[in-house]
Amino acid sequence: MSIHIQNVSKAFGSFQALEDISIDIESGELIALLGPSGSGKTTLLRILAGLEGLDEGAILFDGQNITNVSPKEREVGFVFQHYALFRHMTVFDNVAYGLKVRPRKTRPSKEEIKKKVTELLALVKLDNFADRYPSQLSGGQRQRVALARALAVEPKVLLLDEPFGALDAKVRKELRRWLRKLHNEFHVTSIFVTHDQEEALDVANRIIVMNNGKIEQVGTPEEVYEHPNSPFVYDFLGNVNLFRGRLHKGKLTQGEFEIDVPTYLDSHDDAVGYVRPHDIQIEKEQLNNESVAAKIVHIHMVGPIVQIELKREDVDEYLEAEIPKEHYKQLHIKNGDTVYIRPKQLRVFIPEDYSI
Amino acid sequence: MTKPLEVKQESSISIRSGATKSYALQESAFVKWSLITISLVFLSLFLILPLVSIFVTALEKGWATYVASITNPDALAAIKLTLTVVLIVVPLNAIFGIVAAWAITKFSFKGKNVLITLIDLPFAVSPVIAGLVFILLFGAQGVFGDWLFQNDIKIVFALPGIVIATMFVTFPFVARELIPLMQMQGITEEEASISLGASGWKTFFLVTLPNIKWGLLYGLILCNARTIGEFGAVSVVSGHIRGMTNTMPLHIEILYNEYQFTSAFAVASLMSILAIITIIIKNIIEWKVKDV
Repeated sequence: MSIHIQNVSKAFGSFQALEDISIDIESGELIALLGPSGSGKTTLLRILAGLEGLDEGAILFDGQNITNVSPKEREVGFVFQHYALFRHMTVFDNVAYGLKVRPRKTRPSKEEIKKKVTELLALVKLDNFADRYPSQLSGGQRQRVALARALAVEPKVLLLDEPFGALDAKVRKELRRWLRKLHNEFHVTSIFVTHDQEEALDVANRIIVMNNGKIEQVGTPEEVYEHPNSPFVYDFLGNVNLFRGRLHKGKLTQGEFEIDVPTYLDSHDDAVGYVRPHDIQIEKEQLNNESVAAKIVHIHMVGPIVQIELKREDVDEYLEAEIPKEHYKQLHIKNGDTVYIRPKQLRVFIPEDYSI
Repeated sequence: MTKPLEVKQESSISIRSGATKSYALQESAFVKWSLITISLVFLSLFLILPLVSIFVTALEKGWATYVASITNPDALAAIKLTLTVVLIVVPLNAIFGIVAAWAITKFSFKGKNVLITLIDLPFAVSPVIAGLVFILLFGAQGVFGDWLFQNDIKIVFALPGIVIATMFVTFPFVARELIPLMQMQGITEEEASISLGASGWKTFFLVTLPNIKWGLLYGLILCNARTIGEFGAVSVVSGHIRGMTNTMPLHIEILYNEYQFTSAFAVASLMSILAIITIIIKNIIEWKVKDV
């Protein structure tokens, strides 16, 4: 089912939770709503489910305006952050609930319900836990019960609020993979909220980055990671090094560092250059004036990528670089060495009211 | 999937938080036993001794007198009236308590604190004053007195008055018991139920009520005990009409004032038995709740 969010605004008292949000979601997409806490992502999800009202705007499911439709009519599967399982019901009854409460006319027979629930429990690999109570399950198991319960009503949209937030790292990774697989099988339009950029990049096929109740960027994981359109997105998705300098005649200068930025030929402003750690080139000699001297402070060498912390010698600032282990071996560098660093790719933003 | 890990977590969850002994709070045997002795002596003197004396006095003149005191028409009328009041007041307060607790915990609205304070009001006001308020409202010289008289509705010195006064005194019990419980449980289970397509009523009966049932029962037990025993407010509005508007506590007082000690204590023993049963049920519920 396609979803159209049109100019939605929502305030809680004087706090503006959402400000003029518009998003179009195609049928069958797996969307991540990514943002820091307080960015409005959960509020948006709850508005989609009908658990929260909106002040302005409209929500369309398949072109139909459902803004004023009650949550019970929306056919939305909602997975709550802390699962919200019915604590007095067994796993089986939890999953069967959505079917059992249907009006008599549309309610499946007892056998049909049993068959459906058994199928779903097999899908979430909890067939042997049907008679347990939620308090007797681990976090990951509860999460899967919550998912099965939401899927039992065959929702047109699946909404997940921080689905992996409360789980430990290993279980989280497994459930992530599992959710993607599930989505590939069911093709139900799914939206999940997360504050974990890695999770969003890993699972979603489109990411909506939110901040302060506004949308910062919408795009595929690759787009938002490789081409962030704002300092916020740059900073929020992955580590970043800053070069705070001044633009002059198409060059960004800071200390002894100078780099060409042809897109800003006419600007004479303070500006910040953003460089990902893996876009920092380390050389032992100064090849041109785009590189600048820095001292190696710390080398972190676990896994195939070597992280190197450097301190610039011209200004009092630290940098972080990531290079492949092989390259690191060729360089023959150690703590305390002076090297020359050069950004391979740099994106310049002129700060307005934004500061890091 | 990660089976071994899960099994480990389950076993840790199943450990119930029972009576945990703090090492830091372990006192010497002397302190421990003197504290226990003091409590026991105090309890015996002020609770068990009077309770025993009620039964001793009641049975002083033999079983026949005891039965006669209880089966006396006035006594039977008092017992019947008290039970009638219980049957009306307790269900009404159950409904009111749930509604109030629901409103306070599941919605956010202006004036919520005012409502919470109002619920506590009967605890703060003396029952006698509560009774007087209803006399002022519904009595012959009261605000609604004329209108009630013209329409031939009797409230004061009749069952409705007793019910209203008792309700006023006992209405905080259920709400007070449920509010913290429902606050702790939050509203996400109800939200989950609604988003799964359940109606408001189904959500209440299938999700909310099972979650609060022990707390509700506990509140009802306290409400019930107070309803049976309420004296002050009922005394003011009942008019003490023998065989008509005397509840059990009022009947006991009248017997006592007429020096019919054996009869007074016989009815009192009946009330004590009701109280003891209440306490036992209350303990069973507490024990159940701890177990859940």
